[in-house]
Parts: sequence; structure tokens; C-alpha cells
Amino acid sequence: MNPETPLRLLLGPQRPVINLDSAVARSGIGDGPIGVLSAAWQEAEGDIDALQRVLKNPLSDLFLYQKAEQLFAADKSLHEAYRERQERLKEQQRLYRMRLRQLTIAARSILSTDGEPAVVAAERRHAISQLRALDQHHLRRIGKIHSRFDSLVNVDSNSLFADHVAELQEQLSHFETVLLTGGNVVVLINRLRLFGLDRLLREKNIIGWSAGAMVLCDRIVLFHDKLPQGRRDAEILGHGTGILPGIVLLPDAAGRLRMKDPLRISLFDRRFSPSICMTLDNGSLLLFAGETLRDSVAAKRMTRNGKFRRVRAA
Amino acid sequence: MNPLLRKLVRKSAADSAEVDALMREMDFPLVDDTDVTFVFRGTADAVYLRCWISGLDTTRPFQALPGTELWATTIELPKGSRIEYKLEVEANGKKELILDPLNDVVAHDPFGANSVCQASGYERPEWTLHDTNSHEGSLHNRHVESEVFRGSREVQVYLPATFRENRRYPLLIVHDGVDYLHYADLKVVLDNLIHRLEIPSLVVALIQSPDRLKEYGADDRHARFLVEEVLPFMNDAYPLVDAADARCVMGASFGGVAALHAAWRYPEHFGALLLQSGSFAFSDIGGHHRGPVFDPVVRFMNEFREHSGRPVGRIFMSCGVYESLIYENRSLVPHLQSKGVDLRFEEARDAHNWQNWRDRLRIGLSWLMPGPAWLVYE
Repeated sequence: MNPETPLRLLLGPQRPVINLDSAVARSGIGDGPIGVLSAAWQEAEGDIDALQRVLKNPLSDLFLYQKAEQLFAADKSLHEAYRERQERLKEQQRLYRMRLRQLTIAARSILSTDGEPAVVAAERRHAISQLRALDQHHLRRIGKIHSRFDSLVNVDSNSLFADHVAELQEQLSHFETVLLTGGNVVVLINRLRLFGLDRLLREKNIIGWSAGAMVLCDRIVLFHDKLPQGRRDAEILGHGTGILPGIVLLPDAAGRLRMKDPLRISLFDRRFSPSICMTLDNGSLLLFAGETLRDSVAAKRMTRNGKFRRVRAA
Repeated sequence: MNPLLRKLVRKSAADSAEVDALMREMDFPLVDDTDVTFVFRGTADAVYLRCWISGLDTTRPFQALPGTELWATTIELPKGSRIEYKLEVEANGKKELILDPLNDVVAHDPFGANSVCQASGYERPEWTLHDTNSHEGSLHNRHVESEVFRGSREVQVYLPATFRENRRYPLLIVHDGVDYLHYADLKVVLDNLIHRLEIPSLVVALIQSPDRLKEYGADDRHARFLVEEVLPFMNDAYPLVDAADARCVMGASFGGVAALHAAWRYPEHFGALLLQSGSFAFSDIGGHHRGPVFDPVVRFMNEFREHSGRPVGRIFMSCGVYESLIYENRSLVPHLQSKGVDLRFEEARDAHNWQNWRDRLRIGLSWLMPGPAWLVYE
């Protein structure tokens, strides 16, 4: 049960204002049943009563998080391999962060310095290229860690695993549309990847808010400038599902980013270019048909000069 | 003279009702950049400003302003400061300590209340105020049967709003926990920081001693109570992460000593300490001058400074610069760092009081126990 050209409806946080209902109505997704992936809520997965009160469409949660927990409880060796992978990923992220800090400081200094324009421009380009090279290196390292884990996991040799995958495939076949909630983006992408849903979702209409939208990108970028300990450099977590390549999604940018720091925004934009960095604040909406932008409400994109401009559909 | 005070003095000569009206519009004490003027209006033989700020006289006389019922005194207070004080009014041969009648800002502590002077630049952090968006955690009264103290000890337990039995939580143990709730708004702070994902959802054991100056003063019985009785009780009753890294102990003043002492006596049981204005008195040679209640503390601190080892991996320390303990706290920082402790130290323009400790909770807790804000996009 798949649409001809799948729609991707991307939203910001659903607090304080909920625009999920109006966005679905506006998107043309229709009022058919929707499969919900609320794994990003972790233990609260499946608490979709409030969601059901908002949407007319009948909702069913696929309990991805719970399935993974059952699997880990039943298969200790799989759980051990999974934990080992997570430890390696954390270590890789820690080392990446150390190098990123120094390159970011250097790039900010170069971007803010005056001097002979031609000389400075060349150094700026190189400073950005170093950041991009580090990001690429990090993605490769992350990819290797995932590949190692994937090679250890054999779905067919584990009956519970095979049952869960088959059940998910069967469940998904009943839905033209899948909804991915916001929440913990690491948990969500890990669970999607574990059960191979990153591939299965591609043919479906997808509604995703916040973390649920981020996982559709080809790279998941973590960011927060307003933590109690101060700002952190934006980090690549790893590959997303790649369903919407070429964009970096920034949910709750108004709450998390120092949007009036042009140097920071400019660096952000240049580092992830040619991908377009788009904000998804509360009340905003982006609608893609396939990979083509069809509609946009209150979403903004970063610009090279460190500002924001509205995202407009062609 | 403060310009507002000058205006008051001028009006006082003419019309008392006009002075009343004028005073109702003013915020006392009068803050003019770094000059703070305290005002008293009434009949008295003498008026004094009483505050317990290291570096300032504990008693400062007010000047009577001729031809008026006004008394005033001005002190210089650096920006961002917050001090607590009382007025001492002498009349008819009697002295009385009172809250400043012109100042509504009051701080409470176990001994009563003080008036609060907020200097230019101080603002109460908004995360210490009730936020209707934050889901409220719950408090539960539990009792630990203690062999160490031969009786039942009450422990209040804070559970986060989203508490679920099927999840594992880190544990925070708070000395003077009930006082932290009453005087440092700890529950509001926990609710807010958890809601903002700045700290993880956690379980908090709030312990309170009936004889804190004895039991918190580096008393081995208390360390045993904490590790051999409170910890097992909490582990049995609640789903906790069973790892030292997921356990933090905090305390202020003597509570800070108790936390450090317990972690030192029982290494490998705790991963982090939050120590606020710890009473870390020591003597390099000879005695000390802080009174007999500090004797066991000084003995412990002297021994600790000789053989501290690395009691835990991470420590957050804070202390007010207007308290005499600032010197002891400062001296502990390089010592612990040299032992490999990942330590962060924050000084505040404040003194030995609960609101100072309240205002440092966010930075301390979020540093020791960072929440998932970085990974959660709701």
C-alpha cells in the first residue's frame, strides 16, 4: 500500500502550538490509517492517545523500541554486540569532538579576521574544507563501526529477530503513511536501522516532526548553543536514512541556536554546503513530493552571510 | 547622598503624607550603581545594619538624618552581589533585630528569615521559579531502619514526573535535603532542569540529620549510614543504575564535609560530588579558631589533605566570596585537580546561605549529570 509519489511532511516541535492536524490536512495525505513510530519516546513509546485526539486518521504504534528491548532481553550476544557498537560510537564521537573543537576555533578566527582579501579568502576556504574533511572522515569511521555490527548480526539465525522484522513488514504494508515523532534522535535512528526500516520507509508517505524529521536527512547534525555549560559545536551524529538528501534539518532552531550570531551561522552554512540548512521551529512546515519541495510555512534557511531567509517552494 | 534619599529628606521637612507616597514607590534598599543605601524610618536611639559578610563589619551604624524620622547608611556592593541582613533597632534601652520593614524581599533558613539586598546586576534565575510547563515530580516519605544510628531515619525521595518502573535512574543523595526543598527550592529546580533536559530524569534521596553538626562533621557513622544503609535501601526500593558513575552526593556547609568524607571513606561507591560552601576547615600547623564543633572536621581535612587520593572522578564546588570559607574552598581546588579529579569551581558574589546554593544548582547539577538535551529534539 504505497503512494505513487510519496510525500514527506516535516514539522517542528509540537509545543506550544500543535500544527500536526492542520499540516496533515493541508498536505493531501488524506485521512487513511497511519503507522506511528514513537521509538524516540523510549519507555513512553506508544502513548499516542493525545496524538490520536489531534488527528482524524486512525493511528497504530509499531512499538519499535519495545521490539528492540525484547530482542535484547532474549539474545544476550546480540545485546552485547549492540552495546559494544554503541560504546565504539561514543568513543568515536568523543575523539571527533576533540578535533572539531580546534578546527572550529581556527575557522571562526579565520572567518572573522581582516586582511588582504585574496589571501584571507583562500585561507577561509581551506579552514572550511578542513572542517568538511573531518566531517567526512567521521562519517566514514561511523560507517565502519556500523558495518562491523551489521556483519555480526544475522536476522535469519534469530527467530525472534526474524519474527519482528516480518511483523514490521507486514504491519507497514497496511499503511500508506508513517508518522515519526520527535524525541531522542539517536534512539530513533538506531531502532530504524536495526530493523531495516530505513529502507522500508522510503516508499511511504512520511510525517516527521523534530527528531522524526532529522532522521530523514542523509546526515544527522546535532546542535545546541544554549546548554547550561554554554554552546557546543554542531556535530555530525552519523548517516540518517537519506530519504531526503541534500538538506540539514534544524528543529527548534529559535530555541537552540544563537541565530543572531552571523559568524556562527555563516560557518554552519558553509560547513554543510551544498546541503541546505533549514530551520523547523514550532508552527513551521515543509512538504516534499519525493525530493521536490512543494510547500513551506515559516521555515527558514541559513545563508552564507550568516543570516536566514524564508524557504520558498518553487 | 543617594539622589532618591535626598528627595525624601527634602519632602520630610514639609509633608509626611507625601513622604509616605514617595516611599511606597521606591524599592529599598536604594541601589545606585555599586552604592547601596539602607533606610529606616522611625523613632529610635540608634539603628544598625547587621550582616555576616566576610570583609564587612558585622555591625554598621545608620546615621540619623536631621529634621526627619529617617536613618540611613550606605555601603559599596559590587555588581551582581546578593547579601542577607537584618536591622538592629535600639530604643528605650532595648535592642531588637528585625527584618527591614521597607524591603519585601526575604530569604528563609532554618533559623528564621533575613532581608535580602540584591545589588545592581543580580537577578533571580528564572529556572528557580515554578514553570507551569514543567511536569512536577513527586515526593515520598520513606524510612530507613538504621543499625548505625539505632532507629528509624526518614528519607524523602523525589521521583521525576516521568518515573517508570521499567527504567533505570541515576541517584542523587542530598544532605540537608528537606532544607534544600524548603530554602533552596530544590524540587522546583529539579522539575525545571529535568523538563528542560538539562539533567537526566533521576531519583533523589533527601536525607536530614537530627544532629547535623555532629553527624555531618566527618563522622564515620554517617558515612556508614549513607553507604551501608541508605544506598542498599534505595537500590532495593527503586530502579537505579547500579554503577558508581550514576551516583552523586551533594551537600552544603557541613553537608559538603559529610559528602566528601563519605566518598573518601568509601571509594568506588560514588562518581560525583556537588559541594557547596563546604566547611573544609584545616590547619597547616597548630590549632584552629572555629570552635570545638570544627575539631573533627579539621582532623579529617588535615588527614584528607595528606592522603586524599582521588575520592571520585568529578567534583563541582561552589562558594560565596563573602564567606570566610572561600579560602579553604579555593585551596582545595588545585589539590584535588592535582589528584586527577575533574573539578569545576564557581565563586559567587554571595555568602553562606541557601539562595546562594540554590542559584548554583543548575550549573553544578548539569555539569555533573548532563541531561539528554543534546540528543533530544522534541
